[in-house]
Amino acid sequence: MEEILIEYITHEFLEDDSIEIKADTKLISSGIIDSFSLVSLQNFIKDKFGKRIPSPRITADTFDTVNKMIEVINQF
Amino acid sequence: MLVSITFYLFLVLSVGIFYLIPRQNIRVIWISLASLSFITYHDWKASIVVVILTIMSYQIGRVVEKTKSVRSLQVGIILLLLALVLSKYFGLLSDTINSLLEFMGLLPVIKIEKLFIPLGISYITFKHISYLTDIYWGITKRGTFLSFLCYSSFFPIFVAGPIERFERFNPQVSGERHTLSSSDLEFAFRRIVYGLSKKLILADWLGYFIAHNSFLQQDFMLASIIKLLCFSLQIYFDFAGYSDIAIGSSRLFGFKIMENFNNPYLRSNISLFWRNWHISLSDWIRDYLFFPLGGVSRNKFWNIVLVPIIAMGLCGIWHGAAWKFLLWGVWHGIGIAIYQIWQQYKRAHKKQVAFTKSKIWLVLSTAITFAFVTVGWLWFK
Repeated sequence: MEEILIEYITHEFLEDDSIEIKADTKLISSGIIDSFSLVSLQNFIKDKFGKRIPSPRITADTFDTVNKMIEVINQF
Repeated sequence: MLVSITFYLFLVLSVGIFYLIPRQNIRVIWISLASLSFITYHDWKASIVVVILTIMSYQIGRVVEKTKSVRSLQVGIILLLLALVLSKYFGLLSDTINSLLEFMGLLPVIKIEKLFIPLGISYITFKHISYLTDIYWGITKRGTFLSFLCYSSFFPIFVAGPIERFERFNPQVSGERHTLSSSDLEFAFRRIVYGLSKKLILADWLGYFIAHNSFLQQDFMLASIIKLLCFSLQIYFDFAGYSDIAIGSSRLFGFKIMENFNNPYLRSNISLFWRNWHISLSDWIRDYLFFPLGGVSRNKFWNIVLVPIIAMGLCGIWHGAAWKFLLWGVWHGIGIAIYQIWQQYKRAHKKQVAFTKSKIWLVLSTAITFAFVTVGWLWFK
């Protein structure tokens, strides 16, 4: 799951090639993923892992790193 | 309403009695009664609407929690939207239909009397929609009826928000008995003073300046620009002031209410603007409109262009029963769509857009965002 998410985020959202996305890289609070782009991330997770994460759980507090995303995905 | 003497007399009295009550559940009853009294004082019909909607949403919440039925959730949302549309937008809709009929000259014009618009109807319906949806998603519990009544009617945030979520509010109501600390008092006092200053000194002075300055009354381009800039600041100070007062007053009861503004005019794009302007509303739009609409289709045009326009259009019309608010929302929707297209372009052309990392670009994009938002207020005025 970690690798799939990192690959998707790197390919879909990363503007700066000098940054390497890791499991604990801050993504929302650092501005790598902006608020409106999170919709496509939610859709990707639904399509890939079959889980629709409720949008109030997709915030900078709960979804900021790949590690946190995996935690939330596993809750649903 | 939050700047009237009545509000502060009411606040001091209700906070004083609140801390004389030893048990938390009795305190919750007290806050609900005090809030309903406050609403009744300003609009007695609204308090009846609050009680009816609260009973209705709570009962539907019970079914949604038990059955996880999407149909029950849909019924709840439709009933809440009906209450909002019939009270707030009925007049606008009947006027529009009448105008169209008159224009076409096909049918006799039927004049339908407007229904009354209950105080706080826009806020309570949005709060109840989020309540039911969060229960359906399994991220909040139904809570007790009293805590839900307290959430629905809590008077410092009833009229102008923030649109707090039950998930955050409920633990504070049903938790341990709160003791007023010096830091609570200091926080509340500071925020209320900030709020009053923003509203009464800055916003009202700007309003007076716009209305009475002789230069601004002239029909010059420069005068119009200055007037619009002043209005842009006035509306910010007005609304942010109200939010400060609401947040500060709530703290007197020990409630930590979410922040609603965070320097929105100093943001470098429209997405960041909306993350910092009326945060509780933009979060609501994001969670209950933007994401669900985005999940309907994987089509890029739908997600990048149409969803922002639809979601922000609805956000606009929520502000008032007039088409100008819809246009204001659509303006912002178009802004977000353009921003998203720009983001896509940036990702595909990283080398060509390297200049966007410079400080000059940051300043320029902040100025462009402010100008875009300010021009948008033309619809809102």
